[in-house]
Amino acid sequence: MYEGVSFIPLTWTDMLYLAPELALAAVFLLLVLLDLVMPGRVSRLSIGWLTLLGLLISLGLVLWRMLDMNRAGEAAETIELLANSYRIDDFASLLKIVFLTGTALTVLLALGSVRDDDAITEKGEFFYLLLPAVMGAMMMASSGNLVTLYIGLELLSLTSYVLVGMRRRSALSAEAAFKYVVTGGISSAFVLFGMSYIYGVTGSVDLTVIYSALPGALADFKALVYVGFFMMLAGFGMKIAAAPFHAWAPDVYQGAPTPVSAFLAVIAKGAALAVVFRMMFGAVYFARTDMEPDVSNDIFLALLAMSAAAMLVGTTAALRQKNVKRLLALSGVANSGYMLVPIGISITAVHSSSFSEFVYYLIAYLLMTIGAFAVLTAVSRAAGHDELKGFAGMYYRAPWTAAAMVIFVLSLAGLPVTGGFFGKLFILLGAANAKAYWLVAVIVVSSVISYYFYFGLVRQMFMRVGGTEQSIPVSPATGIVIWLCAIATVALGLFPGPLMSWIDAVFSLGQDLMFVVY
Amino acid sequence: MDMYSQAAWLIPLFPLAAFLVLTALGRSFRRAGILTGTAGSLAAFVLSMIIAVDRLGGRAVDYNYAFDWIRIGDYTLRIGFEVTNLTAMMLVVVTLVSLLVNIYSAGYMKDDERITVFYGYVALFTFSMLGLVLSDNLLSLYIFWELVGVCSFLLVGFWYAKPKARAAAKKAFIVTRIGDAGLLLGILLLFWYMPDHALDFTTIQSVFDGQSGAITTGITTLIALLIFLGAVGKSGQFPLHVWLPDAMEGPTPISALIHAATMVAAGVFLIARTYDIFLDSAAAMETVAYVGGFTAIFAATIALAQNDIKRILAYSTVSQLGYMMMALGLGSLTGGIFHLFTHAFFKALLFLGAGSIIHAVHTQNIQEMGGLGSKMKVTAWTFAIGALALTGIPPLSGFWSKDLILTVAFETNPLLFVAGLAAAFCTALYMSRLFFLVFTGKPGAAADGAHESPATMTAPLVVLAALAVLAGFIETPWNGWFGSWLSGEAEAAHGSGVAIVASIAVGLIGIYVGWLIYGKRSVSRTAARERLPWLVKLLEKSYYVDELYAAVVVRPLKTIGSLLMVVDEYIIGGIVRLTGIVTASAGRTAARLQNGQVQTYSLTAVIGFVVIIVAIVGRRFWP
Repeated sequence: MYEGVSFIPLTWTDMLYLAPELALAAVFLLLVLLDLVMPGRVSRLSIGWLTLLGLLISLGLVLWRMLDMNRAGEAAETIELLANSYRIDDFASLLKIVFLTGTALTVLLALGSVRDDDAITEKGEFFYLLLPAVMGAMMMASSGNLVTLYIGLELLSLTSYVLVGMRRRSALSAEAAFKYVVTGGISSAFVLFGMSYIYGVTGSVDLTVIYSALPGALADFKALVYVGFFMMLAGFGMKIAAAPFHAWAPDVYQGAPTPVSAFLAVIAKGAALAVVFRMMFGAVYFARTDMEPDVSNDIFLALLAMSAAAMLVGTTAALRQKNVKRLLALSGVANSGYMLVPIGISITAVHSSSFSEFVYYLIAYLLMTIGAFAVLTAVSRAAGHDELKGFAGMYYRAPWTAAAMVIFVLSLAGLPVTGGFFGKLFILLGAANAKAYWLVAVIVVSSVISYYFYFGLVRQMFMRVGGTEQSIPVSPATGIVIWLCAIATVALGLFPGPLMSWIDAVFSLGQDLMFVVY
Repeated sequence: MDMYSQAAWLIPLFPLAAFLVLTALGRSFRRAGILTGTAGSLAAFVLSMIIAVDRLGGRAVDYNYAFDWIRIGDYTLRIGFEVTNLTAMMLVVVTLVSLLVNIYSAGYMKDDERITVFYGYVALFTFSMLGLVLSDNLLSLYIFWELVGVCSFLLVGFWYAKPKARAAAKKAFIVTRIGDAGLLLGILLLFWYMPDHALDFTTIQSVFDGQSGAITTGITTLIALLIFLGAVGKSGQFPLHVWLPDAMEGPTPISALIHAATMVAAGVFLIARTYDIFLDSAAAMETVAYVGGFTAIFAATIALAQNDIKRILAYSTVSQLGYMMMALGLGSLTGGIFHLFTHAFFKALLFLGAGSIIHAVHTQNIQEMGGLGSKMKVTAWTFAIGALALTGIPPLSGFWSKDLILTVAFETNPLLFVAGLAAAFCTALYMSRLFFLVFTGKPGAAADGAHESPATMTAPLVVLAALAVLAGFIETPWNGWFGSWLSGEAEAAHGSGVAIVASIAVGLIGIYVGWLIYGKRSVSRTAARERLPWLVKLLEKSYYVDELYAAVVVRPLKTIGSLLMVVDEYIIGGIVRLTGIVTASAGRTAARLQNGQVQTYSLTAVIGFVVIIVAIVGRRFWP
């Protein structure tokens, strides 16, 4: 039975370790009160700026903790809180940096576009609700225990449901929120159901204990282990929007306010991928025994099947898509597939860089996706809709923004010189190193198919004439997001080395994922 | 340490910034565009000058900076830049000519609608050329090598409304690609055989210099010849010289910058940079020497019979590049690079002078000119200096460099010495023909109303004329300073009385003969045509090389091409269309799922889950 029955209180030192999360919570509470007492006529954009400030503070705290842990070249000692239910290691810290940066960019993007969106009535709420959402994502990245993991997941999900329905005066938004709640509920049900099985056969919710108890459990309850993990994978698959669990994504992204779509596409997806990564390598992979390697292999194979399905379904479904938000949602499905590849292929002697491949692509994906959504906000405001034809003649109406969009499209399509190119290349080489050639073929084929719709965007921008010659206005905040993302994308495409080696240097498989057996 | 050399990476960034600004400005900012382009090259020139001057004095060490660019598995790709005395010299040549061309174009291209675009391309070219020069490894050199090719393509076809310009641009690009393919193969071979797959020049030098035996002689020769093939394409050597005369369809300042002083010299620079590979292979050295020597005499004879002023100069460039190759092949790095250095100035001068003439008379046919000397004094005098420098009359710069090459040839290879002398005679003859037909005699049909060009155009001429006079004194038969500076080892000055006398003699005889025919006109101009009509025709048609290529290469390729078209259309095309249909129907199925019903979505998820679990787990339980 589970050992830590007795309640373990938080100490002050623990609180210090939790500072990034607590800072977010504090700012969140403060902003709720501020929104209440602030007179109605005062612009809620100030709340947006304060939200951004809160995110940056939290980001600073994470960075500080991480640098503190990685001092002077020693391998970082993992900090375990509350009987290993909350882990502060480099795996979590790196992902938290990604999530916080992504959310900060989302807030900045919202600052540039929310003001003019009359369908959003509660503009203050719109901003500060992002704080608990990203807090949930951070908890997911840090969780070492199924319960913490689930709480993080729900914190993220519940706030996301509200955020999707934030455009109160839009029926589309309400519909999207409803669909998201329903599918999200099903996803949670899958996850919980799976967890209950795993708890049932191992007697613990602690990933470490699960890891050591799995070999024994396999002998007696093989089928239940299968069902448990598959259920969890299916549940997380819905959150990740990997095929065949992706069908909700286009509808929800389309109805949600564009910054929220970007948040769902990057942070919500990234957090779910993070827990899958931790679960697979923390519990499943190293629990393989000599007698039963099949089960572990099968679970990994299921992940790869999801990955391949996501790549192919995402790209083919996008072929006929005329709505850019739906297009980006489906592109996100395909990208989930790419990011599942390094999680799904096994770590071997010749291939141990799964995590850096994953994080590198996640960062590239974050930049290009948020950048593309940022361009979309400007274009769709000028056009009044999210359709592809809104991009027509963009080169003549906003040449610089069009140039930035070309960078994002190149990156999404995985062509040089962009971060997306190297991201995909590293994943491809990883798969090739692990001798998963069928997966290499799927990556290549789906990339080639994706050129069709990505360059459909370019064709609209450069070779079609829009209905109007008017230039497309880009608000300063949106412009900052676009160019930060564009420059970073190109920088990653020119110099992939430094980031890649930094991740490799910081992250160590043994310390951060392989749990020490007690 | 070399404080200035450390900042060398900044040099290409100035023109790059100028290019970006020019592209951003758009066409309406004509004046600002000119200023931006000129400022970019001026800044680059100043910094290059500082670096070069800094390295003149003591024993400057090579400065190299590189960083890990990409790591894939165990292989690390490092890129960076390197400043040696050779690259420092090239930096000065490139930036100086670029600066002068920028100034000159302000006058020459004044009325062109797309002048901003022109300056943008020139800035991009300057950036690429500087990047090529500064590269510390073959891979980045190759990238810039292709970039200068692209810029050359853009600039040759700058007046793309002219069909001939379009054709010339295509030809230049395609013919040099043949050489580039060789270079790429050479680099790949080198990558394959080098220890640790290193491609940087320092490692290449140490591997080949030590004759460590890491790479066999056969492979060394193969690599050297493939690299040389790249140089043959870029530097217009026989048999890939055909693109260079046609490239004269581009604006004349471009001919001066790209097709006389810098890009075409890149082939010579490439061989100089990888010289240790060549030194390891006697066969490769001989090939380089003979191809160079043959090209020198071959192109010089063609230049005798041309009537287009720019084509004459183009063939002359081909011929002079042949001299440089010959020097390299004969083992004289100093001779090749020295001639590159002096040639850059006097040939740029001649091209810019030709541009000034064309600007005044609006024709390129020298038969229609005449008597321009009195109307265009500055152009005439500077052109005369350039022509004399090219002919190799002391004490102008061309004399010293050509003499060094001839001396080396005299000492090592009598056959090539004779070829060099013959080419020198032809050079003197075609240059005097050109000069007397254009500047003396009765005013021709097009000479009416011709007048001197504006100061923006004549000032660069004067600067280049001064350099054409002075640049040769850095290396003379009694002072081997340049050679020592370049190689870093004390190099004895050597001169040969025979070579000096012979080269002066053939130069003077050539000029005298030219004067008799075209100046004094005491010998009939049609004498040669009447006695040897076939020879004149042969030269006028450039030995029918283009026609030969058309018959032997282009037409068969086109036939094969049209055959392949059929295969492509019906077989490949059919497969492609089939793939398209399959993918599109898959897309339609995937889209049908997206019917907006959340029940369907959830059902899909559940079915998907069941399918996965049955497919993957089921095979274990029900074997």
